Amino acid sequence: MAGRVEIRKSFHQSLDEVSHDIVRLAGMVSESLGKATEALLDGDLRVAEEIIAGEVTLDALTLDIEERCYQLLTLQQPMATDLRAVVTAARLAAEIQRSGGLVVNIMKAARRLYGVELDPRLRGLIERLGEQVHRLFRLSIDAYVERDDSLAAAIDDMDDTVDDLHVDFIQTIFEAHGEGVTALKVAVQLALVGRFYERIGDHAVNVGERVQYLVTGWLPEHDAAARQRVRETDGGAGGATSDAGGDGAGSSPSSRSEPA
Amino acid sequence: MGSPLVVVTVVLLVVALATTVVASVASYRRLRVRLESEVSSGPEQAHEPEGLREAEAARARLAGALEAVSQGVVVRDEAGREVFRNQAALAYVRGRHGEALVEQAIQEQFAALAEGGALRRTLDLYGPPRRVLLLSAVTLGDGPHPAGALVLVDDVSERRRLEAVRRDFVTNITHELKTPVGALGLLADTISIEDDAEVVRRLAARMTEEALRVGRIIDDLLDLSRIEAEEAPRHEPVPVHEVVSEAVERVRPLAQRRGIQVDTSDVVRSHAVRGDRRQLMSAVANLLENACKYSEEGSPVELRSRVEGEMVEVEVRDQGIGIPGRDLERVFERFYRVDRARSRETGGTGLGLAIVRHVATNHKGEVRVTSREGEGSVFTLRLPSAFPSGGPVPSGRVVVPVEVESR
Repeated sequence: MAGRVEIRKSFHQSLDEVSHDIVRLAGMVSESLGKATEALLDGDLRVAEEIIAGEVTLDALTLDIEERCYQLLTLQQPMATDLRAVVTAARLAAEIQRSGGLVVNIMKAARRLYGVELDPRLRGLIERLGEQVHRLFRLSIDAYVERDDSLAAAIDDMDDTVDDLHVDFIQTIFEAHGEGVTALKVAVQLALVGRFYERIGDHAVNVGERVQYLVTGWLPEHDAAARQRVRETDGGAGGATSDAGGDGAGSSPSSRSEPA
Repeated sequence: MGSPLVVVTVVLLVVALATTVVASVASYRRLRVRLESEVSSGPEQAHEPEGLREAEAARARLAGALEAVSQGVVVRDEAGREVFRNQAALAYVRGRHGEALVEQAIQEQFAALAEGGALRRTLDLYGPPRRVLLLSAVTLGDGPHPAGALVLVDDVSERRRLEAVRRDFVTNITHELKTPVGALGLLADTISIEDDAEVVRRLAARMTEEALRVGRIIDDLLDLSRIEAEEAPRHEPVPVHEVVSEAVERVRPLAQRRGIQVDTSDVVRSHAVRGDRRQLMSAVANLLENACKYSEEGSPVELRSRVEGEMVEVEVRDQGIGIPGRDLERVFERFYRVDRARSRETGGTGLGLAIVRHVATNHKGEVRVTSREGEGSVFTLRLPSAFPSGGPVPSGRVVVPVEVESR
């Protein structure tokens, strides 16, 4: 009996360390994301190089976290909440790593944009995009640390602002290029930068979804799967009566799926 | 009888005995001393727990002292185990975002110290809030057997900021003053060896321009030092709309030249502030001048006033080029330039916003700015109202509190 308690404790300790390292990984990305926008606008190549060089550390830590997650899965065979915590950790590490990779991409673009004087409107929009995405990223990590599923769910809505800014940004690039203010090469680089920011926002939304899954067991894929089932039964049996119950479960996400 | 051999034997025997006695006495004395000391140490042994208590009290005092310092303190023993961490450093253990990196840096500092590596490290955190942390590692105890190690985390953000302000001030004032004076010298040199009257006329025009520039800087510097010296300005009620219309009058030539519409329709006639009319006019005029200068030709500039509690806010809003985020909190520094190359075209002295800030603080108010590049800037001057709550009811607009029904 005492032995079992010990094992559980060590499992939770390891899990704790894993989630602590995820927060650390996110800390690295959050810092580089904030600095990246400034470095891009100021043409600060020193910071750009620093962030590009830091990718190795990010990747190493991600790999380490993932391996520890797999170890926990195979050696401890966790159930229910514990299982979700481990699966979420592995997924989050990947999402955060991708965000870090996109920050590196922004810095590579900054290298190519070095010395280019940008239209103030474009600079303002880059600043806005950077701030908004940074905020989103930080909030998604806050949601993870606090296991706050309503905050996690709100991130998807907040991402709409990022998407709107992205559309504005692309529009402004077209205008600036049309007026002959911005060269084609520069315009392409800028469009890429906008895309990178927008993608980081999407990863933050994914982190939010994973946190919801961690807390409630809900995944957006469940909705899609339910729809798919409805469609199949519709086509096969010509009636969706059996799936009405499945759909009804949608109103109480926590009861929907508890991984065994 | 009386054999000499017997006598010698007796003497030897006595000597031997004496020696033994002396030795035994000495050993007795030693024993006594020891016993006495042991007896007297008896009560001392009874005091031992008190010694422990004292040690405990001393430890608590030291720990309390370390708690009281604002820096983060982490102590490890000689085996590398963490034995103490004060409240400030405790915050880093479960930190997130940038904070999570501080804990990592602390651990790395201990590791570096153990390997005889770097003892100081600066950590630049983007935040927000933006911070610069200085981590120092120290070996505790001396000699070949250290008693442990300590890492100190010091927030040096404010110190770094002031250093930057001071450093840039010297660079900027040198640039601002030396450039026109240097130009004057060169122009004068060229004129003295130039025969072509037309060229001389052109060079002379340039000299006048540069001289005017130096003159403006000196005027502003004098203005600034006068405002600085006058710590308590006059406290008369000054109607905001009068200050505004005087300021508008002052920048009218500039606004007309650039086709800028200055809209003052949202300046409420009944709003008044308490202060020195001349200083206030100078502050508003400076804000207005910047708004006109950094706007595109033909774009609007708006002024408005509103009451916020006991303060009146005067807002100057433009749709100009805006200010980059990193310069935003520095634009009020003397001679600070967002873009030095551009500053010569716009012809400012680099002192305008410094004057505005001084006027605001002199009046126990403040000036704030929000800006976005490519969208424009909003400068807000907050000044104490001449009619704080309980004063005369402002004529013109009457504000009736309306309760909003919540559904």
